[in-house]
Amino acid sequence: MDVNQYMGMFLEESREHLQALNRCLLDLENDPNNLAVLDEIFRSAHTIKGMSATMGFTLVAELTHEMENILDLLRKEQLKANESILNTLFKCVDTLEQMVEAIAGGSEAGLDIKPLVGALVKLASGDNGGITADLAPTVSSEDKTSDIIIDATEANVIHEAKCQGLQAYEVQVNLRDGCLLKSARAYMVMNALDELGDVIKSVPAAEELEKENFALSFSAVILTGAEAQKIQSTVLSISEVDSANVLPLAETDCVSQEQPKAGQAEKQSQITTKPPVKTAGGAEQTSSSDKKLKSGQSVRVDIDKLDSLLNLVGELVINKTRLEQIGLSHRLTDLVETIEQMDRVTTDLQSVVMKVRMVPVGQVFNRFPRMVRDLSHELNKEVNLIIQGEETELDRTVIDEIGDPLVHLLRNAVDHGVESPSDRQAKGKNPISEVRLIARHEGNNVLIMVEDDGAGINPDIVKAKAVEKGLISQAEADKMDTAEAVRLVFLPGFSTAKAVTDVSGRGVGMDAVKTKIEALGGMVDVETKINEGSKFKIKLPLTLAIIQALLVEVCQEIYAIPLGSIDSTINITPGDIKTIQDQEVILLRGQIIPIVRLAKKLGAENSSSENREELFVVIVHMGEQKAGVIVDTLIGQQEIVIKSLGKLLAGIKILAGATILGNGQVALILDVGTLMQ
Amino acid sequence: MSENFVSSNDTQLVVFRLGREEYGVSILQVQEIKRMLEIARVPQSPDYVKGVINLRGNVLPVIDLKKRLGLLPGEYTDDTRVIIVKVADIVVGIIVDAVSEVTSINSDSIEPPQTIVSGVNAQYLSGVGKHEDRLLILLNLEAIVGVGLELAKNS
Repeated sequence: MDVNQYMGMFLEESREHLQALNRCLLDLENDPNNLAVLDEIFRSAHTIKGMSATMGFTLVAELTHEMENILDLLRKEQLKANESILNTLFKCVDTLEQMVEAIAGGSEAGLDIKPLVGALVKLASGDNGGITADLAPTVSSEDKTSDIIIDATEANVIHEAKCQGLQAYEVQVNLRDGCLLKSARAYMVMNALDELGDVIKSVPAAEELEKENFALSFSAVILTGAEAQKIQSTVLSISEVDSANVLPLAETDCVSQEQPKAGQAEKQSQITTKPPVKTAGGAEQTSSSDKKLKSGQSVRVDIDKLDSLLNLVGELVINKTRLEQIGLSHRLTDLVETIEQMDRVTTDLQSVVMKVRMVPVGQVFNRFPRMVRDLSHELNKEVNLIIQGEETELDRTVIDEIGDPLVHLLRNAVDHGVESPSDRQAKGKNPISEVRLIARHEGNNVLIMVEDDGAGINPDIVKAKAVEKGLISQAEADKMDTAEAVRLVFLPGFSTAKAVTDVSGRGVGMDAVKTKIEALGGMVDVETKINEGSKFKIKLPLTLAIIQALLVEVCQEIYAIPLGSIDSTINITPGDIKTIQDQEVILLRGQIIPIVRLAKKLGAENSSSENREELFVVIVHMGEQKAGVIVDTLIGQQEIVIKSLGKLLAGIKILAGATILGNGQVALILDVGTLMQ
Repeated sequence: MSENFVSSNDTQLVVFRLGREEYGVSILQVQEIKRMLEIARVPQSPDYVKGVINLRGNVLPVIDLKKRLGLLPGEYTDDTRVIIVKVADIVVGIIVDAVSEVTSINSDSIEPPQTIVSGVNAQYLSGVGKHEDRLLILLNLEAIVGVGLELAKNS
């Protein structure tokens, strides 16, 4: 099989599952009895195993297989998740990550998984060897006896079949140990049996077989005219089948066996007399979609395809608008009505397409808890990582790029930012330090902050270092204020790990962080207070981010105000406006709020709000400051996609960008910060 | 045939009209030509920036070329067109009175701009081309668009 075409998918999915493994293992560490998490871990490991085996990466498959054994024992509560098991599992995940990256780089070679596999096997057998040993014989002994329970309906079917001269057989199939695609083999067996006769039931049921919810053996009941030997040889001809027993089934077997296990019979009565392989489709779909909801269903799409889709939708909207105009100018009522419906569809289509490109930052944040855990263990620090706003959405292209800078910042926070527990206690701080990773929208930007409650950066030491390294002169250093001095850490050449550790400040690769963020069109800044901690702020533009905005009209022009900066909207009369030192203000709930007349600010003419009795005011805020913006009309709240105005108009500070409304019209987005000045 | 027609010395031009004069820009800079469309005014922008348009999901600035060149403004008519040009990564629309044709002109028949005396600031021109018995004023789009960048920043 040519597997290369699936390589990209394999890599991406493996990475995703590895990330999930990491996350779940962390959860498991906090709550070792959480079986749901274990199930998820098991599923991820299993998927990786299946994929890598199909792709021919046997080492990955082998390692995951061993992991699965342990996980299975954990799941069955025959093992307890203790630290050594978790650490081994973490190591496995790391090794798998390395292997996957090696595969991405072109080869699976190089990594020795033997020690890990050995450790896993030892853990699996270790203290709990007795239990596993006990387990084995029961499984095999079960194989010999008939474990199929036939209910009344099925007995009836068997009876009828016998009248037609068919014989009912129970086929017990054992798959080879280490069989990798159990469900596929089971399916092949079922298919083969189906050709010989009618398979009326299987244990476990067909959908369970497809989900690989069985060990290595399963059984089926078949009604056939063929001989037992023929059945056996057919089944054995399928690869990876270890053995097959074909036992004739007497009618009496069924009824007598039904009684003692009535509880199970109820469950099995759902299985109809039709061949289960055929009914499986429908039943399987519903049950699997129930299960998969948790991990989220997704389809991978090339970003270029999304781009062209976006453009096509845009074009559709424009043409729809044109049709609308034709309908209006020729007074074609039918056309106008149809277009109104189409309008709704295209609007939805547009917003969906735009949303598709957005990815929550959580995708990047996900891997940090693990990283911080490892790092803090390594450094003997206790760090509590708090992540907020992981649902904040950013354009996919930006998401892909911010990972590395954030790793830098977080590493610095843990390594150089927070102090050791003993130092913290000496300073009277909580020995458990806190590192916060926060993302949120702010106007036209997404703000990502890495905050720690550590020692902070000492500006004097930073200055001294910079002077020593010849980056600035002593005279320059003397003139600098604290904020400027701290920003020196971003200078290229300032940072070498050693120098920074010496000053117990930070700066490892800080210039790299800065370069990267600026390449994305963003900004990075730092605030710090000695002994209280530091805060690194990354501001990223959302060239394509979707925000909620209030659309307002001024002089027939439509503007959008980001909802995040809006407090409320109120109606006032011109009499409510007072003047303080030539500045128009209103009094709102005891607070004096300056007034901005939007029409005037934007140089628009013919504002309808000039001589009106009732004025619409949008109360906006930026930080602690508030202002009331007078507009002509409030149109409504809408999700908009921020588009850049381009280089040519980038200098206009009052505009944060533009957006395209459902009808193809361009609306400009106001920058509230500038508006208030 | 066509190979003979467009020799290596030939430049292909999109020819358009502003007022009563004919202008040309290199066809390589032109992306498409649109009828006049809805333009959203951009506040606090230089006066020659007419506003922004939605071109298949992209927001593009549109320059009123007559204003930019200091010519007398005129009404927009059915012949008015927006030429979408790309200059050094910046895509902008320029409004012209009418687009007449695409033609090729030999580089030898292009003269430098200092010999021209017209109402247009010489820095926006890259030359004047003689084509048959007509004169085509060739525009320096880099200057027309690029200088706008500075002005926008200062304002």
